[in-house]
Amino acid sequence: MHELLPLAISFDFFNGADFWVGVGVLAGIYTVLTLGLQLNVGFTGIQNFGQIGFAAIGAYVMALLVSDADWSFWLAIPVAIGFAVCVAVVLGVITLRLRADFFAIATIAFSEIVRYIAQNARGLTHGNQGVQDYVATWRSFSRDVRHDVLDGIGMGGVEFNQMPLLIVTWIAALLLLLLLRHLTKSPWGRVLRAIREDEDAARAMGKNTLRFKLQSLGIAAAVGAFAGILLALQTPNVAPDNYLPLYTFIGYAVLILGGLTSWWGVAVGALIVQFVLEATRLIDFGLTESQTSSMRFIIVGLVIILLVAFRPQGVFGKREEMVLGD
Amino acid sequence: MTDPTPDEAPIATAELPDAIPRVGPTPAAGDLPPGAGGAVLLQVTDVVKHFRGIRAVDGATFAVREGTVTSLIGPNGAGKSSLFNAVTGFYPPDRGAVTFAGRSIFRKPPYAVARAGIARTFQLTRALTAMPVIDNMLLAAPHQRGESLAGALFPFGTRAREKQLREQALELLALFRLDTKADDYAGTLSGGQRKLLEFARALMTEPRMVLLDEPMAGVNPTLGRELMAYMQRLRTERGMTFLFVEHDLEAVMANSDQVVVMAQGRVIADGTPDEVRRDQRVIDAYLGGAGG
Repeated sequence: MHELLPLAISFDFFNGADFWVGVGVLAGIYTVLTLGLQLNVGFTGIQNFGQIGFAAIGAYVMALLVSDADWSFWLAIPVAIGFAVCVAVVLGVITLRLRADFFAIATIAFSEIVRYIAQNARGLTHGNQGVQDYVATWRSFSRDVRHDVLDGIGMGGVEFNQMPLLIVTWIAALLLLLLLRHLTKSPWGRVLRAIREDEDAARAMGKNTLRFKLQSLGIAAAVGAFAGILLALQTPNVAPDNYLPLYTFIGYAVLILGGLTSWWGVAVGALIVQFVLEATRLIDFGLTESQTSSMRFIIVGLVIILLVAFRPQGVFGKREEMVLGD
Repeated sequence: MTDPTPDEAPIATAELPDAIPRVGPTPAAGDLPPGAGGAVLLQVTDVVKHFRGIRAVDGATFAVREGTVTSLIGPNGAGKSSLFNAVTGFYPPDRGAVTFAGRSIFRKPPYAVARAGIARTFQLTRALTAMPVIDNMLLAAPHQRGESLAGALFPFGTRAREKQLREQALELLALFRLDTKADDYAGTLSGGQRKLLEFARALMTEPRMVLLDEPMAGVNPTLGRELMAYMQRLRTERGMTFLFVEHDLEAVMANSDQVVVMAQGRVIADGTPDEVRRDQRVIDAYLGGAGG
């Protein structure tokens, strides 16, 4: 029977709670990463295509401070995030005056520069080997949570290894989502939307638009760096290949799926994209492994093409803002 | 579904709301005598702006007195819009001097020029179409602590200002008969309504001087006359100063205290409408090409 079905589903994975916990963690990380894109693209109209570069900076600075400079993990986190914000401000001052499309290209270039430095400045970054010795503090914290909390509710088993990370990631994602939603409902958010609509009109009304765009990019860099740190705890290895531009593009897929200017759409979009990406592993296409992994991206691409064609505002976006923005 | 458009509305007679502050001295009753007005508010001296090889503005000099309506005319390509953009900081001028109320605004960025008290409109209306009409208005108001990140994070002290601005905005919208549209997206407004919204939005910045770039362009004659009527009332009742670029010479001659004529990047004549009309250089510039 099995061989007769071209698209048979194998249920082996469904037994593994750890698989789904892992999917949940990645969805949470993509939510955090894409919150920054939502602020930039959805609210400010700046096409930041270098978001994964900020994640790389956050992860590398944290990992290197802990492993090579013996910093405390908890102290390294805010310093890494602060460093990413500084880089964003410098990058923004140089590139935010560019026209939108050139800015997009400059940001891709930025994230690739970060990755190539990580690959080639071996003395500092350990090259392609990556950095590993930074997880001890997190591991012991995670173990404590499992023993003290999760054991009591029947989730102490080894398959719930990543449960503490899942909880921390989603609490952080939701808090950041609510914070950004709060910020963008203010007069500050109104100026960002005005810049998105027509920067010259905003300038004619006395708004220092460069300053607002820098703030937007800086906040995106901060959440991006935080997403990078969470990813470093999930992998747990900080290596150049974890920060390919592809991951920024997946962030855009999340953004389009959830809907521009919808904060809840980011979380829902991340869950859907991550579910589709991972659940398609379970479908037996009758192809080789590498063909199957390409097939997953073809499916995500198709979903996005159909969405843009038939529901350009995404799941939660406002149709009026799509249609009237000209 | 057809709303009464301002295009069919009568010439503005409604009371000006208190939302528009008095910004200049009250001029004498009736029309200003030629050359009158307060002190010089805007002084443009020898301003040069070139784009690569082309000298769009080639040493323009003129002054605008407070509480007057001045128009800037000239054939196509005379450099009127470039001069406008040089004064407002959108195209930083290469040389010269620009002072506003005694302070230099030469090469100041657009937001600083706006904060100094100069509001401008654009040749093609720039309504923020994917935002509600009321947000277009609120955005323009100065002194909003809620626009800082700290104010956005802790909005407790900013709500009173927001409420006050909302009332002010609604008053202004009512003046232009746009109050029923306050919560609609600006993109749903007609072309004429967008022109009015842009005018109302400029007033929301509490300007001392308003620069209008071709206010009559793309507007039906009735609405055009109405815009001119508002401009006159804002000048006589609130002491506001106006400078506008316009091709409609009839509107220019009927509404200006002073007319500045440009050709080939230079100011070739400057005076009352009557003086300018008789000026041979102006006639040459319009009929035969400058210097012909």
